[in-house]
Amino acid sequence: MPVFKLCMKIFLKNWLSISLYVAIFLAIAIMISMSTMSEQNKSSSFSQEKAKVALISEEKTPLTEGFRQELAKSSDFVKLPDRTEALQDALFFRNVTYILRIPKGFTEDVLNGGSMQMEKTVVPNSTENAYVDINVEQYWNMARIYAKHEPKASEQQVVKQLKKNLSGSTPVTIKAHERAQTANSFSMYYFNFLAYTLSAVLIMGISTVMIVFNKRDLSRRNFCSPMRARSINTQLILANLLFAAISWAILVAFCFLLDSKSFATQNILFFIMNSAIFTACISSLSYLIGNLLKNLNAMSAVCNVLTLGPCFISGVFVPQEFLNSTVLKIASFTPTYWYVQANAKIATLTHFEWSDLEAIFYSMVIVLGFAIAFFALSLVIGKRKRLIN
Amino acid sequence: MFTHIFIYRFKCLIRDKQLVFWTLLFPILLGTFFYMAFSNLNNEETFQPIDAAVVNDSAYQHDTQFKSVMENVSKGKDRLFHLKVASNREEAEKWLKKDKIKGFFTSGEVIKLTVKDTGISQSIMKSFADQYRTSSSMVTSIVKENPKALQNGLLNDLGNHRTYVKEVTGGSAEPNNVLNYFYSLIAMACLYGSFWGMKEVTDIQADITDRAARVNMAPVHKLKAFLAGSCAALVILFVEILILLAYLRFGLNISFGNRAGFVVLTALVGSVLGVSFGAFISALVKKGEGLKIALLMVATMAGSFLSGMMFMNMKYLIAAYVPPLAWLNPVNLLTDAFYALYYYDSLHRYALNLGMMFLFIIFFCTGTYLIVRRRKYASI
Repeated sequence: MPVFKLCMKIFLKNWLSISLYVAIFLAIAIMISMSTMSEQNKSSSFSQEKAKVALISEEKTPLTEGFRQELAKSSDFVKLPDRTEALQDALFFRNVTYILRIPKGFTEDVLNGGSMQMEKTVVPNSTENAYVDINVEQYWNMARIYAKHEPKASEQQVVKQLKKNLSGSTPVTIKAHERAQTANSFSMYYFNFLAYTLSAVLIMGISTVMIVFNKRDLSRRNFCSPMRARSINTQLILANLLFAAISWAILVAFCFLLDSKSFATQNILFFIMNSAIFTACISSLSYLIGNLLKNLNAMSAVCNVLTLGPCFISGVFVPQEFLNSTVLKIASFTPTYWYVQANAKIATLTHFEWSDLEAIFYSMVIVLGFAIAFFALSLVIGKRKRLIN
Repeated sequence: MFTHIFIYRFKCLIRDKQLVFWTLLFPILLGTFFYMAFSNLNNEETFQPIDAAVVNDSAYQHDTQFKSVMENVSKGKDRLFHLKVASNREEAEKWLKKDKIKGFFTSGEVIKLTVKDTGISQSIMKSFADQYRTSSSMVTSIVKENPKALQNGLLNDLGNHRTYVKEVTGGSAEPNNVLNYFYSLIAMACLYGSFWGMKEVTDIQADITDRAARVNMAPVHKLKAFLAGSCAALVILFVEILILLAYLRFGLNISFGNRAGFVVLTALVGSVLGVSFGAFISALVKKGEGLKIALLMVATMAGSFLSGMMFMNMKYLIAAYVPPLAWLNPVNLLTDAFYALYYYDSLHRYALNLGMMFLFIIFFCTGTYLIVRRRKYASI
């Protein structure tokens, strides 16, 4: 199999640049998956969500201190220097979502039924804004009522009363629904991100080989060899598939090393299956690109656009639930969209009956359809090219 | 002579389709992808009335106070809940299971909340229930101390909710954090312009390209040839950046604040920075073109990463924990200049960024000049 051997030689010769690609994308994949996962780490009991609040108090009274303690139940305080730009920066990058300033003389004014107000700077109309507002307003409204109806009580007493009233909390029952172990796990994010890594590595690697073969003189030389075109093609495809399989295996193996816990579940089988099908699809896409393009420079442009584009619009970088429906409709014309869809469903699988799996297989079949379409197209184009040559 | 060289360099450069792709089309495509992926992120943050339910059992019907409070917070424009009334517990649980509601309340001696997950909506529901419970506990304790309070309009005062916070804006612009992606994208495009600068230097060093060897033969002062060429590169890059800006502003409706003149000025300074950076690296590195390209690529990408193009909070983290890195990163300077123009009312920070960029430009230009000048080729 001389063609096959030649392919291997080309791969080996480029192994450094290709493995550099694998290493870089692997590092990115791991970093991103780790950072997304930690946000999602949820426990099974109810814990109150905490908003990020910067509290700047220009006075220190028993009431403001009591208020600070109460607010701490629903907020994490972020310490910020009291400079406009620092505050604005923090708000822009969501280091805080609510900046509250208590002006001097505020406590006294509230207790006397005055109309002084605190100042808040927030992300307009945000959910966290509504959340913090509830807790802030309540405290001071209660203080006002106490001051009015128990005029004899000192400020300290009011604080104590408020503390007593505000202690204890509403009983919350969590309807523990069955949750798959892989839901929001490292594996899920990793396999999603694999769509980007695999696309980049495979398109780069496979097209590198194909472009060598498509050099005009070289391909002419090959045509006049006593080998049949079919044999040449088969060997080429075999070599590319081998490369794809190895890249895929390396990438999946890393997931095993990093999240071996998920590997004990049944879900992982489907993740692996799904990614294998996707690998096949991207391999045939790369084969097509390799057949179409003539030089390496054009290839890196095409490679970048074809890997980044679908990943952005089909939910690899930004989860699908954050994308708007028009974008998702456009994305559904790419295999990446269906791959991500299947992944999301696999991650939450708890039962493995046909009714649960149907939707997953449906997505996989679509990806497979893309694979066949790309492959058929590249065969047709290859044939045409040969005839024209 | 200057015009002559300028025109021919311009023609020569603009025919490099690959460079035009990377410096113009690629940023435009990436901007489009950003737009498609991030346009919904801000809406996600916006508060929507929470889908909540209450179980309409006999306890709820008798608890008129709770009932009226629930109805009160579920109507009007600023309502807290999108309330559904379930006829019994089973129905509410069914809704919860199907994700139709975030949680439901059950009335009784104490109000109880049932949810499926922990999250901000659920926390708001809990805070609401807490508030209700706290208010009644307050009424009890006040009445115990001061039984006349009820006649003095305690309940009236309770219902008479007063607002103790008013919203003040930090500046004239909204803190729309998605914008940072687009600002760093423009910065990246400017720095991609370094490829033009690189090409200029490559084309006057006779030991590197044939074209440079030919140019060096001509009886033209080298500095003149170089300046004319650099001007051509700069004009091309600046026009490209302007096209990108126009596309972002008018095509994708990305806001840049109200100071259009300064935005264009920043684009110009960014272009000069890009070209001079490329020229400097190209003059500094004597080895082959591949290495130069790789260096420029890595520098630009690393700079973009640190200014938040891939992960937005990176910019804030760097500014908070390693401030020198923020000031020494040209991509960040450019990003920050656009950010300051959009977000701050004062031009102080913008001026600082611009000043820092000028320092970089002077450094790159002098460096390039010192390296490239008086180079003679006895034999190649």
